[in-house]
Amino acid sequence: MTDRALDNAPARPGHLAALKAIPPLVWVAILWLAAVLFVAIFADLVAPYSYTAPNLRNRLVAPGHALHWLGTDELGRDVLSRLIVSIRISLLIAFGATVISACFGTALGFLAAYFRGLVEQAVLMLADFQASMPFLILALAVLAFFGSSLVLLVGLMGLFGWERYARIARGLAISAGAQGYASAVTQLGAPPTQVYLRHILPNIASTLIVSMTLVFPEVILLESGLSFLGLGVQPPMTSLGNMVGFGREYITRAPWIMLAPASVIVLTTLSVSLLGDWLRDRLDPTLQ
Amino acid sequence: MARFVTLRLLRAALTIALVVTFAFIVLRMSGDPAQIILGPEADPEAIRAFRKSWGLDAPLWQQYFQYFGAIAQGELGRSMRDGRAAIELVAERIPATLALTLPALFLKLAIGIPAGIFAALNRGRFADRAIMLLSVAGFTVPSFVLGLVLVLVFAVQLGWLPSGGQDSWRHAILPILTLGIGGAAVLARFTRSAMLEVLGQPYIRTASAKGVPWRLVVTGHALPNAAIPTVTIVGFMVGSLIAGAVVVESVFSWPGVGRLLVVAVSNRDLAVVQCILLLVAATMVASNLIVDFLYGFLDPRLRHAGGKAGV
Repeated sequence: MTDRALDNAPARPGHLAALKAIPPLVWVAILWLAAVLFVAIFADLVAPYSYTAPNLRNRLVAPGHALHWLGTDELGRDVLSRLIVSIRISLLIAFGATVISACFGTALGFLAAYFRGLVEQAVLMLADFQASMPFLILALAVLAFFGSSLVLLVGLMGLFGWERYARIARGLAISAGAQGYASAVTQLGAPPTQVYLRHILPNIASTLIVSMTLVFPEVILLESGLSFLGLGVQPPMTSLGNMVGFGREYITRAPWIMLAPASVIVLTTLSVSLLGDWLRDRLDPTLQ
Repeated sequence: MARFVTLRLLRAALTIALVVTFAFIVLRMSGDPAQIILGPEADPEAIRAFRKSWGLDAPLWQQYFQYFGAIAQGELGRSMRDGRAAIELVAERIPATLALTLPALFLKLAIGIPAGIFAALNRGRFADRAIMLLSVAGFTVPSFVLGLVLVLVFAVQLGWLPSGGQDSWRHAILPILTLGIGGAAVLARFTRSAMLEVLGQPYIRTASAKGVPWRLVVTGHALPNAAIPTVTIVGFMVGSLIAGAVVVESVFSWPGVGRLLVVAVSNRDLAVVQCILLLVAATMVASNLIVDFLYGFLDPRLRHAGGKAGV
């Protein structure tokens, strides 16, 4: 809705005003996320060393070293290079999982809104079940018993948070169905898939996108928690939580191994949350 | 009212059945426990005997119904590692976990709710922004990072507190703080938005316009109405008293249910994992039931609408 307002506004000044309205803290968040995204995409070009290359002469070197800016770990592997690759893996899992869970949840929510009755009850019951069990416990059971692989991990994380999209999509689709535009296209003969995907979805997209920005940091936290417990991403592959988990054993002698990935996790989730909160205040019509 | 209660009880029973099914599917179909427990070079005769004694040789559907029947009778199986009853192993660990999670729950409530109310009443002012920024920071920091940073500062650098173990009450301080800070942040946020929503309602304006003093408007009209969404999240926290400390217990090597779960999962000790899953589900379902009935008590509209909140 805000998009349309911007498009109609007189070209330049409107956009400038919109940019000026972004609070400084949100700017910092956007810049950080852009930097993280850049590093994740160009990880191979940015990383100074291979993330698995050991250097036994330079083990546990402190940060600030001329060759290893963020120091090295217990095998002499460059912490900065490992950090860059970890960012890529963690973001990849979180993005994949968020997209899967948003699509899955929205689809189920629409099905519930369209069929009502038994289907709706079944979806709501599954949503209740999902919301009432701590996801970490369910995930732990699945991962440890099937063994951990990247595909399984993304798929499993993709089940996280679907119930929120489903509830939102169901509620909004039902109320949209009662509004003029949806019944108008229905009566013009549009099939249900067209009504839902071309007419209702664009109208509720802003609310769904806001929920995505709120679920995304939780997915990062969940993946890093699992990897920290040694049950997520497996070595030699590395992720942010994984680095913290292994760095923990050197917390007295080489705290930087753990602090570098820990601060990236915190700054990234914090940035997405700040951006999400701001977007919600701006975009979410249900709050106004 | 009877319909409301029956519906809720049915839903609770269904959730438990779903968890049992989930546990069964995941834990039984992912591999051969006999092979794993006895090792790859085990005698085939020993494997057959093991399967027989654990009921693993029956068809899956039979195992499924046996499993349901066993649970109905409170028989939750024995640990495949040392042969003790799984429920006994788990029950042993519960006090240790509660020793962390109960004080942490208290800490969450004592900090989170007042902070949220205070922020909402001072919306947009400095106090509100500071509390909200702290709250966002509080729940975007993962518990293992917060825990490790506390260890780094208070155990490694200052040497005031132990970094792990369970020898004295001093060992519990850092894990309780770790759990409490994160939860308080979440609770503050929920309470604030619940309060803001209520404060925007017409009846609040009416009450102030009638000349009711603001303090009474807040305590008499705003707080009871804001309690409803807040009770939900507190209910979730009560429900996760047993399962909520998995990561923190691992960080601080605290011998609670969470540690047991992580170890049981890596040992593929099926009975113990199932037992913990069911225990977690039962506490979650029980606290959800209590929350639902509290809702009915706090908000008569829900009670009369047949237990169904509007969209």
